[in-house]
Amino acid sequence: MSQEQIKEILVNENHPLFDKTGMFNKEFPSDFRQIRYFTLLIVQKAPPEIKEINLLEQQISEIIKNAVKHGNRNNPDKKIRIWYSFSTTHAHLIVQDEGEGFQGIEEWNSFNRKRLQLFQDQNFDELGNFVSFRTQKSDEHDGGNAMFAAVEYWNDGVVYNAKRNAVAVGKTFPQRRVSVDIGK
Amino acid sequence: MDLKIRKSAETYIIDVNGEMDLYNSYRLKELVMKMLEKKVEQFIINMENVDYIDSSGIGALIYICSTIKKMNLKLAICNIHGSVKKVIELTKLMGYFPIAGTVDEAIQKIAAE
Repeated sequence: MSQEQIKEILVNENHPLFDKTGMFNKEFPSDFRQIRYFTLLIVQKAPPEIKEINLLEQQISEIIKNAVKHGNRNNPDKKIRIWYSFSTTHAHLIVQDEGEGFQGIEEWNSFNRKRLQLFQDQNFDELGNFVSFRTQKSDEHDGGNAMFAAVEYWNDGVVYNAKRNAVAVGKTFPQRRVSVDIGK
Repeated sequence: MDLKIRKSAETYIIDVNGEMDLYNSYRLKELVMKMLEKKVEQFIINMENVDYIDSSGIGALIYICSTIKKMNLKLAICNIHGSVKKVIELTKLMGYFPIAGTVDEAIQKIAAE
């Protein structure tokens, strides 16, 4: 393995990403059909500099989908609550559901370590067995790959609370320098 | 998302137009499975007009790719760009998917196999 740090899902509700100071918040019903609409309501607050066309939207939509579908099991009586804050250099999101919590985090981390090792070894035949993380509750529509991208994308971390029904994610974006040629 | 099929010699090209998301990605999977039933053996999935993909879309591509690999048939995915490329890179699937640049390159890739 190279020295590149293996990214993991953490469990630590005292993590700084759970600090909600100054964050906006919204509450939504667990309506699967409206996941992308809810996502747009959140992401509209983000400045264009960090949207990367629609990558930020896509990554937020995955977190909301997990809460609605895997957390609340699409139960319309259960709500999801979202805290969010954006600037030209950061995106920070906390999504909480009313479900049982993501109990498979250790299993997921172990699966992901194996996956990254195979990728490192360029062993694409065996990698075929590690492209989708599935549990007994997964259905045919679950890609089983959302969190692989999430731990890479959210470079400040992907952290769950102790009950594992709330996830906090953060990303720092490089400050863009605007160079102005003032001429001579 | 809109799916169109065209043919170049023995290769079937599926032009995907629009967003591949949690609401519609299963349709591409279903289409390829139907084509497999009809004994199609060479596939190109053209992503030129796809600007958004999520984990369900990636999941559909994984399912299609692994099914076709297991059957020893041929597949190339081409014209991946923008955030679609970024998501595939983040998921570290660039080496797993049989990726080609353009449709012509995909046709050549399949012919060379």
